[in-house]
Amino acid sequence: MVTAAERVSSHKWGMVVDVDRCTGCQACVMACQAENNIPLSTEDLYRQKRTFAWIRVERYWYGDFPDVKARFIPIMCQHCENAPCEPVCPVFATYHNTEGMNVQIYNRCVGTRYCGNGCPYNVRFFNYWEPVWPTTLRNQLNPDVTVRSRGIMEKCSFCVQRIRRGVREAARDGRDLQDGDIGTACTDACPTNALVFGDYNDENSRVSIMAKDDRKYTHLDKLNTDPNVLYLAQVDATGGAIGGHE
Amino acid sequence: MATSSLITDAPDNRPSNIEATALLAGEGRTAIGTGLKRFMWLLATLSVIGLVGIVFRFINDDGRQEWGYYAATLAWMLTVFGGAPMVAIAPAIAKANWVRPVARIASLGAIATAVIALLMIPLLFKLPALTEFSEVLGDDVRRKSIWFDSPRYAPHFWNVLVLLTLALVGIAMAYVMAIPDFAAIRDHGSGWKQRWGKKLARGFYGRPQQWEWLKMRIGITGAIYFAMLLFTNFTFSLDFAVSLVPGWKDSVFPFYHTISSFQAGLAFVIIGVWAARRWGGMNQYVGHEQMWSLGKFMLATTLLWFYFFYSSFIVFWYGRSESDSATIKLLVSGPYVYLFWTVFFLVFIIPWWIMIWNKVRDSVWGPPIAAFIILFGLFLDRIRIYVASWSAVPDDLELATTDILQEMPDTMWPDVFDVFIMVGLPALGLLSILLVTRLVPLVSLWEIQQSRLITKPIRFLRSHVMLVGKPD
Amino acid sequence: MQQRRILDEFTINRELLRGNLATPKWWLPTVLGLLVVVLFGFTLMGIMFNRGLGVTGLSRPVYWGLFITTFVFWVGISHAGIMISAILRLTQAEWRRPVTRAAELLTVFSLLTALFFPLIHAGRPWRIFYWITPFDFSRGIFPNARSPLIWDPFAIGTYLTGSTLFLYVALLPDLGVLRDRTTGWKHSFYTVASLGWRGNPRQWRLQTVAGILLSALMLPIFVSVHSIVSWDFAVTPAVEGWHSTVFAPYFVVGAVHSGVSAVVTMMALMRWLWGWDNYIRPEHFDALGRLLIVVACAWLGLTFAELIFGVYSLEAPERALREMQMFTWPWNLLFLIFFLTAFAIPVPLWFFKRVRNNIAMMFWTSILVNIGMWLERFLIIVPGLSRKQPFVFTWDSYQVSPLEWGLLLWSFAWVLMLMLLFSKFFPLIPLFETKESQVFTTDVQIGRVTMPAVIRELD
Repeated sequence: MVTAAERVSSHKWGMVVDVDRCTGCQACVMACQAENNIPLSTEDLYRQKRTFAWIRVERYWYGDFPDVKARFIPIMCQHCENAPCEPVCPVFATYHNTEGMNVQIYNRCVGTRYCGNGCPYNVRFFNYWEPVWPTTLRNQLNPDVTVRSRGIMEKCSFCVQRIRRGVREAARDGRDLQDGDIGTACTDACPTNALVFGDYNDENSRVSIMAKDDRKYTHLDKLNTDPNVLYLAQVDATGGAIGGHE
Repeated sequence: MATSSLITDAPDNRPSNIEATALLAGEGRTAIGTGLKRFMWLLATLSVIGLVGIVFRFINDDGRQEWGYYAATLAWMLTVFGGAPMVAIAPAIAKANWVRPVARIASLGAIATAVIALLMIPLLFKLPALTEFSEVLGDDVRRKSIWFDSPRYAPHFWNVLVLLTLALVGIAMAYVMAIPDFAAIRDHGSGWKQRWGKKLARGFYGRPQQWEWLKMRIGITGAIYFAMLLFTNFTFSLDFAVSLVPGWKDSVFPFYHTISSFQAGLAFVIIGVWAARRWGGMNQYVGHEQMWSLGKFMLATTLLWFYFFYSSFIVFWYGRSESDSATIKLLVSGPYVYLFWTVFFLVFIIPWWIMIWNKVRDSVWGPPIAAFIILFGLFLDRIRIYVASWSAVPDDLELATTDILQEMPDTMWPDVFDVFIMVGLPALGLLSILLVTRLVPLVSLWEIQQSRLITKPIRFLRSHVMLVGKPD
Repeated sequence: MQQRRILDEFTINRELLRGNLATPKWWLPTVLGLLVVVLFGFTLMGIMFNRGLGVTGLSRPVYWGLFITTFVFWVGISHAGIMISAILRLTQAEWRRPVTRAAELLTVFSLLTALFFPLIHAGRPWRIFYWITPFDFSRGIFPNARSPLIWDPFAIGTYLTGSTLFLYVALLPDLGVLRDRTTGWKHSFYTVASLGWRGNPRQWRLQTVAGILLSALMLPIFVSVHSIVSWDFAVTPAVEGWHSTVFAPYFVVGAVHSGVSAVVTMMALMRWLWGWDNYIRPEHFDALGRLLIVVACAWLGLTFAELIFGVYSLEAPERALREMQMFTWPWNLLFLIFFLTAFAIPVPLWFFKRVRNNIAMMFWTSILVNIGMWLERFLIIVPGLSRKQPFVFTWDSYQVSPLEWGLLLWSFAWVLMLMLLFSKFFPLIPLFETKESQVFTTDVQIGRVTMPAVIRELD
């Protein structure tokens, strides 16, 4: 909802996902859970269909037997410039900040779940229960991230705590922020560099360079959400890029 | 204290049944005034000009976008003349007495729908078929329509059928509602009118059984007409406007079209009442009582026009998807933005402002002013919708393959032949109605006679009121 | 067909005040039974506040389920009041007279019930004061005026205020009658409530004008309230089957359909429970039945438009959604039941005069309609959510939990209990309307036929 003209910050955070490189290992999912104090997806929660996965890896089969192949697509909050989840929140608990991110204010959220309905990517999660961690895991909680109580919506925040820390440390050390200084949990954990995080306003950043690739597409572009997460389509060895719009 | 003891007689100044019969069915009608003759010749001339315009349109044909004004004119005629009979049907369901004198004027609108059905035929040559490019592009590539797995010329065939059915049912309803008046003409008229009255009355002598039969026929044709009108608006608006614009998905549009049809029908009847009083000598039969009720309903439909428009606007504006934004740009904020705002004022703001004042609505001059403004505004509204749709995608192949309108067309201005068409075709419709009124009385004689039977002005305590019988 | 009774004022007062000056035998046990269910419902709400929304069957992506369905259902039923009292008053239909107060009452109480559901289904209901008034502007905390969930409380609040005012203005003459016939604390209560009603011409004129003005002012509200509720769904492009422009008139006409049917149910109950055979006659059910046919046919046209546009756009996701909604288990069963109960069974029956004049048949068909209309809201809300967009990994269904059914039952008990409590203190059929209709109707002889006649003002 913030236009480019209104943006005053010098950053525009975004991510590029190279579907061709993704092996479906789900290290990103584990890293995100660990970094962001995401409630555990137990079997009970799974049976109630309320599991959390701020980033999830979707697996699509294609091809005919015996040449069956799989395509893995990690999907997290797309941080849409034209987000359908933002205008519908009655209390402004979700809004678009000046750095191109869709942010969620936990203590403002009343839990109407309208934003969850509005999100076409289904990347928003609601705390139906008060989250419980076994005593052994409580020391693992990240002190930089709020632990959400029940009744609150949450979603991928581009690890905003890491962004703030990176900016703070660069200022403290008196140096400019370089591409690669700040990484989200998922991009740091990805073994194949399928996930790349960076600043679109920096023309030399990896995301800016990858955004110019021919294989680039965005999901559900007919909805005109204008996401900040770009995808690079899988390259088929037999020639031509496949994948694209799901 | 029983009410009947509180009632005393009051003087009844209404014209008697004998006077009414003489005026409407008898000798007083044989001569036609020179003013009306001149007006009908004017209409005939304009109609010929309109037909000439159609011919030249075929000669100077540069593509589908040239036909937008023709489509808009037909749509406006369907809106006005098709919606008029509803003014006779709807209050009759509610058993209202005020509508009785104007039911004839309303039902005569159906005569013009036959003209519309005929005039639609040239336009059908320019409407693209659904499956025109399937041989080239593949079986499932066709432009969107409600005719799913369609025969080759689906929208054309169905639209002709639907509009002809509407015309037939409308004419049947107008005929059935006029049978007792034909009988009156047979009994009191002379010359060629008396002969035609005898033929058309078909042995109606007012026996109780015949009245029952008549009421049933009116009810059935009325109900079918309502359903057909809705269905015609559905198919016409979808096939001639919505399906020509890729990405325009608007489920309320047929209903928007229908509601503005009710609004236009009411305006038509109000203008007809005004004309009947001014030139037809009907001052004692239709007056401010009819204007009051008609005006009330026209105010309501004016508000509903805005409501139905806003229902679609808010969904598109809020959604911001590609098709939503393209639709708003094409129809509201893009090439036709000035036309849109003019329509908004003429169809909603100004008539609303005129009609909310009780004194204005309760007069014989107030509602006709609003009615003229509304009819003109609705013509511009149809131009906005249909000209924009017909010029949206220039090439038929693109129309079949484009999902969403990417580029806005330029504003399409009318050329001289479009003006001929816009002036001539409505004149032809109006002329057909006026020709019929040479035989059929402008105000239904039998309805007036019946309302005289069951209503009576009385004095109740100290006030003058009307006693209205409730036969059923 | 008119079945007029000629009644004098003493009879009218005695019969219509039957419920107020003395308590019918069945009243107390019924209210106590309903109170048990109501308290049970509040207990369930308490459990939900205490343990979290996890006790419901809601999940991801079906974030809205039975609660929102029931919310829309009760807002729909509230449209009965305006339809009957305002629109029929402005079109001068005589047969509305016994029904107006009960219909307005149904409006007020069903709106009060409807308001509960968005509040209890929020994740943190104790924080609701961020959402509706009072707003904390001085700390810079503003509501999002662009959200339909902010439009909702304003619309419903306006409707509730207007309806309550309308109800009260129409109650004043009857409160005067009750004041003059009671003693003790009841007399004091009615004295205050009747605001000094004396029944002189000036007060009657003011009361009539107030009634007409409120009727006219409520008409835009009548159309806008359910339109605003429908825009909760229609404005989101993300959910297939929701982003449709026809939602506003569709919901309004559906609301009239279910609301007028609820009035039929209520009228039948009133006639049976209080023995008001002289006032609620088969002719009223006949008139309501004919109104319902018109409304139901309009509703059918709009339903057809909404369903067919899925196919019209040729978009694969929406076609797949409609296919699931209509042809796949378990939705196909629900869809069949919905269509049969909301239209296919009641409406053909209503075409027959014998059915329309049979009160038991009207009672049962009206209940069928409301079952169907509740299912209709459910079928609009849940299938689209469970199959949202082509990300098949997030598709899931919805299991309604016993707690949600309990709260649905609570809502019916709550409305019925409030209506019964009201009936103890205020007459459900307006006395002055009944007396007015006695004065304004007479018999008139035309030829050989004697027919009822009504006195109308000269326009």
